[in-house]
Amino acid sequence: MKYVRKNEPYILLFPSFFLLFIFLAYPLLSSIMYAFQSFKLTAPNAIGFNGIENFKAVLTDNNFPLIMKNTLIWVVLTVGAQFILGLILALSLSRPFPLRNVYQAFVFLPWAVSSFVIGLTFRWLFNTEYGPVNDILLKLGIIHEKIYFLSDPKMALYSVIIAMAWTGIPFFAIMLLAAMQSIPHEIYEAAEIDGAGIISRFWHVTFSYIKQTILITLLLRTIWVFSSAELIYIMTTGGPANSSNTLASYMFMKAFASLDYGQAAAIGLFFMVLLLLFAFIFLRLTKFEKAGNL
Amino acid sequence: MNKKQRAPIVIVRFVVLLGYLLMVLAPFYWLFITSLKPKLDILTTNIQYWPKHITFDNYIYLFETSNFHIFFKNSIILSLATGLFGTCLAVLGGYAMARFKFRGHKLVIYGLLLTQLIPGVLVLVPTIIMYSKLGLTNTMGGLILFYTVGTIPFSLILMRSFFDRIPMDLEEAALIDGCNKMQSLFKIILPLMLPGVIATFIFAFVGAWNDLLGAVMIISSDSLKTIPVGLNMFIHNYDIDWGVMTAGGIAATVPSLIMFAFMQRFVVNGLTDGAVKG
Repeated sequence: MKYVRKNEPYILLFPSFFLLFIFLAYPLLSSIMYAFQSFKLTAPNAIGFNGIENFKAVLTDNNFPLIMKNTLIWVVLTVGAQFILGLILALSLSRPFPLRNVYQAFVFLPWAVSSFVIGLTFRWLFNTEYGPVNDILLKLGIIHEKIYFLSDPKMALYSVIIAMAWTGIPFFAIMLLAAMQSIPHEIYEAAEIDGAGIISRFWHVTFSYIKQTILITLLLRTIWVFSSAELIYIMTTGGPANSSNTLASYMFMKAFASLDYGQAAAIGLFFMVLLLLFAFIFLRLTKFEKAGNL
Repeated sequence: MNKKQRAPIVIVRFVVLLGYLLMVLAPFYWLFITSLKPKLDILTTNIQYWPKHITFDNYIYLFETSNFHIFFKNSIILSLATGLFGTCLAVLGGYAMARFKFRGHKLVIYGLLLTQLIPGVLVLVPTIIMYSKLGLTNTMGGLILFYTVGTIPFSLILMRSFFDRIPMDLEEAALIDGCNKMQSLFKIILPLMLPGVIATFIFAFVGAWNDLLGAVMIISSDSLKTIPVGLNMFIHNYDIDWGVMTAGGIAATVPSLIMFAFMQRFVVNGLTDGAVKG
């Protein structure tokens, strides 16, 4: 039973949707327009349409191939590490053990902490002179010279990826754990009676039950990681020499540091097209219609 | 499931759980002990994994000498306001979505889910342009508005799922007893779903508390800066005062940790009900 009323639900939803339309939908649509304008805060009198100049400038930028390559590495390694470690954690948490609630409260900590504090912490962990990571690696004899984690162009991106992967494991673990806990116990018992070993049980029961959750979570996480610029901004500001810039952080830097909103909007539009393309291909490949519970 | 597991599996699980716990806690431990060290013990290659001289000087400097108390106050005002507005809007809208049949019901839900896929960085640039036209840049109100709008879709989805768990019979009983609909909402239903209301508030609060990029773009004067923006000014300096910075990091984390500890048990439920953003 639900109420059937003409106006009431609309009145109740109006404030939320009014704000969403004015301050979310409108800006998004207007950014399409800005992408075709010269819009620099440094030249406020020269604002006007300039065709595809912004796109030309962005796509022919010498750094652009590097930034696209970084974006790919960033997304694949981060999401991959988060998924594998999150799955292992969820599997380990799926059976009760003493103090499990306390344990969960601790391991889900990174999730509650701001990107800023995480970035700060990892900057300090990776500090070349006084940071413990170099110190421990040296003492264990794994390396013989200090690593310049954040200032070596070959290392910077991977150092931020480590921090980003670390941050996102709890999210994967929570989603997968929740899905695992909804698997009926009888199925495991039946599988065991049928003589299924641990690997076969994981593959045929656990995995096939949580497959949809895995797909949804992978999709969401990929979009999230792809668009995430905060840690990069805090840890390296995309440097040295763009070696750790991704499309998202590059866009933010264009707007924030060069104040070139036109070019930033052009990157944004390119960004949106990539996202839509990714979501479309992903949904096609995974036959998402059957994914149920949304 | 209650059967005993074989010994090797138990050991592997124990090692995994212990290893992960260490991996999570080690960075926080390092942050925390640094904030308790005097400067000389921080800037030394003879790294102390257990602080030899514990001092609260970093915290004293942070709260008494720096502008941190201003940032802290701004963050509190901003996050409380965002939590309050976000929750109010979500209570009204969530109630409408859970309790009414209306045209466009599906559209509303799919629309909200879709907004969860829109990256914040993408909205930021056109929002700034719009804000500068409306005179909202560098104002606390503008920042509160930005975060409130950002929290609406998630809060609505969350709130609706909490309403869905309260049986309709309760309301019908209240209506028969002579309550009107708003009375039954505020006197019967909301008290019952107080945990849901609190969870929604905390999500909005922590979202605003933890964000950096929005505030970096919108706020420019020192007197309006939030904790992440205020501290961020110092992190790009060549000679970072790590003692004070780590103390600031701890001080910035404590409030959101308390909030999350408070709502731990709602997190898993809330998330699995169709919420999506991490």
